[in-house]
Amino acid sequence: MKQMSKGILVTFLAATLLAGCGGNNSGTAGNAAGDDTNSGGAEGSAKSVTLKMFIAQPRFKEQYDKYIAEFVKKEKADKNIEVTVQLEMPTADNASQILKTRLASNDAPDIFALHAVNEIPSYYKAGYLEDLSSQPFAAKLLDSVKPSVTTTDGKIVALPLETLSWGYLYNKKIFTEQGLTPPATLTEMKSVIEKLKAKEITPFVLSYKESWIPQLVLPLAVGAMMKTQDPEFVNKMNKDEGSFTEMKPAIFDIFDLINANGTAKATEVGGDDGAAAFAAGKGAMWLMGPWYAETILKSNPDLDFGVAPLPISDDPAATLINLSASTSLAVSPTSKNKEVALDFLNYVLDDQASNGLFQAMKFNPIATVHTYESYPWITEATTYVKAGKSVQDPAIPQSVKDEVGKGLQAYYAGQVSQDDVLKALDKAWKSYNKVNK
Amino acid sequence: MPVKSYKHIASLLAFVAPALIIYSLFLLIPTIGGMYYSFTDWNGLNANYSFIGLGNFIEALREDPDFVHALLFTLKYVLFMIVLQNVLALMLAVFIETKTRSKGFFRTIFFMPNMISTIISAFMWTFVFSQVLPQLAEKTAMTFLDQLWIGNPKVSFYSIIIVSLWNGVGYMMIIYLAALQGVPQSLKEAAVIDGASPFQSFRKVTLPMITHAVTICLFLTLNGAFKVFEVVYGLTGGGPGRSTQVITMNIYEEAFSNNFRYGYASAKSVILFVIILLFTFIQIGVMKRKEVEA
Repeated sequence: MKQMSKGILVTFLAATLLAGCGGNNSGTAGNAAGDDTNSGGAEGSAKSVTLKMFIAQPRFKEQYDKYIAEFVKKEKADKNIEVTVQLEMPTADNASQILKTRLASNDAPDIFALHAVNEIPSYYKAGYLEDLSSQPFAAKLLDSVKPSVTTTDGKIVALPLETLSWGYLYNKKIFTEQGLTPPATLTEMKSVIEKLKAKEITPFVLSYKESWIPQLVLPLAVGAMMKTQDPEFVNKMNKDEGSFTEMKPAIFDIFDLINANGTAKATEVGGDDGAAAFAAGKGAMWLMGPWYAETILKSNPDLDFGVAPLPISDDPAATLINLSASTSLAVSPTSKNKEVALDFLNYVLDDQASNGLFQAMKFNPIATVHTYESYPWITEATTYVKAGKSVQDPAIPQSVKDEVGKGLQAYYAGQVSQDDVLKALDKAWKSYNKVNK
Repeated sequence: MPVKSYKHIASLLAFVAPALIIYSLFLLIPTIGGMYYSFTDWNGLNANYSFIGLGNFIEALREDPDFVHALLFTLKYVLFMIVLQNVLALMLAVFIETKTRSKGFFRTIFFMPNMISTIISAFMWTFVFSQVLPQLAEKTAMTFLDQLWIGNPKVSFYSIIIVSLWNGVGYMMIIYLAALQGVPQSLKEAAVIDGASPFQSFRKVTLPMITHAVTICLFLTLNGAFKVFEVVYGLTGGGPGRSTQVITMNIYEEAFSNNFRYGYASAKSVILFVIILLFTFIQIGVMKRKEVEA
């Protein structure tokens, strides 16, 4: 009998131990919410607030910590609020899983980072994003980045941190040695390729092992077509009325040209290997954005490369730089410290402090307050943007982008035809519509 | 008597309770939850979702060619693995058993790959397939080595098999070795005296005596091969396209990268679970009947 009661006791202990682990979270949340006693400026009784942040960029921990410390100081000085920040930085791989679980279980962080183009539409629809249109920072955003964080009904719901302007990369040294300039049309591209081949230089580095790389041709082609001939394409697709067959020449003319003049064994070359090959000058061009700059420069610090818009037809107006945003900060509408959270977002685009943060993290300028010098390839892309040769990244659902990557991989390997790829894309978009209706 | 049996059950429960609580908290409840979600159209994010009955299951089996392809590809993989892994492991075990002094050395060598995590061995082999073999072909003029080992879907299936075997054979070999050591020497000697050839004695004496090990090994291979993920993920990523996609990858893709159809992906997992359950039951049932006692 004694032994049995002991056994039960042990069980109870184990159970309470487990329960204790679970209870921890709600304890801190209650703590933050409980401090509602506002002190009308009395020095001794500062209001204290715990702000929970969720930013999936552990590589920038130092920079964020420093910036947050400055924010805490400022908030104390300006409003007499004692802010404690709990910064959570999971790796990018599983961040969106964790974030989704949090949001679905009503445990939303006050401020969280998400992917602008891929995630804003579904998160906004589920009601997890606060409308930030009236915040002071919104007015400071550059016109070229605003659309990527604006919802279909015209509300700004996030602050973009990382923005991209991209087309393809080219090796400037090879281009100047051969007296070439980035081509503006498909025909010019063909003559560039001929000239390179005459000198026994492989025109393109191919790296199709990871399916997101061949996928890159889709946003470029669709974006260019939407700006020149078919502005309603995405809307039509969303209503189940369009078809990718309209995009057939735009996608495959250039894709076939690249494949016919690229390096061998593309299905075994991943992004990093591709970067190494491009850095070693094994090809003059690479269908890739400048986000690989760091990797390229790591394997060849002296490489001089540029960003140029990819021609998709003989219409020079369709040769455009793609503008898009990825990591962006949003505020949860259920946040109990919304005021402080909004203060932080505005502080990210603070007139003085913001330059330092964006420069330290090597992000592109996104607002009028950013006056620092960016990388040469970014400056090059920006000249195209300033000349009006740019287009917003089309709002293609992530599932369609995944599908096109797989489809083009299989197409390259000779397993499927062009029509198979396009049919699969139509189907993927239809099922996206069905799931997200 | 009833009081005593009640006490007996209670003390039994008290002893298993700590393990049972953790087991149900982290495995049983999530599993049942997953089965529940397989009947819904939840997308992993929305707070509300609707119950759609068997819709997910019907869609998976009828309207999803990718899933069916992944299913068939996995079955092919399972078939190859069951045969090759067990035959190779048994051969190695018999070979090592005949050695006397170098037994420990060979056992260690062949078991070693099993100690490396599967995903790491997949990455190692990616390097071998894409860098080492082409170089080797160049240096030694063995041109058949220079091909798209992981980039060509026809060849990459065998690359996947090679890596899986390299990684998995050692473990099965250890089980067979243990079983072989349990075969009484007297039976073998009796067979030799009766004039049995080495092959006959293996076929008629050793093999029946180690059937219990065969049962375990078949069970482990069957179970593991259906759930294969890391090797394929590390080597080909399911590509090019979806030509080497296995079921687990298809499920993963459905839940975490396509339209985030958690409900649908859960339904696919339940299908996989049922398949494994059926195959395992059949296999255990058949093998159990064949086992003999010494």
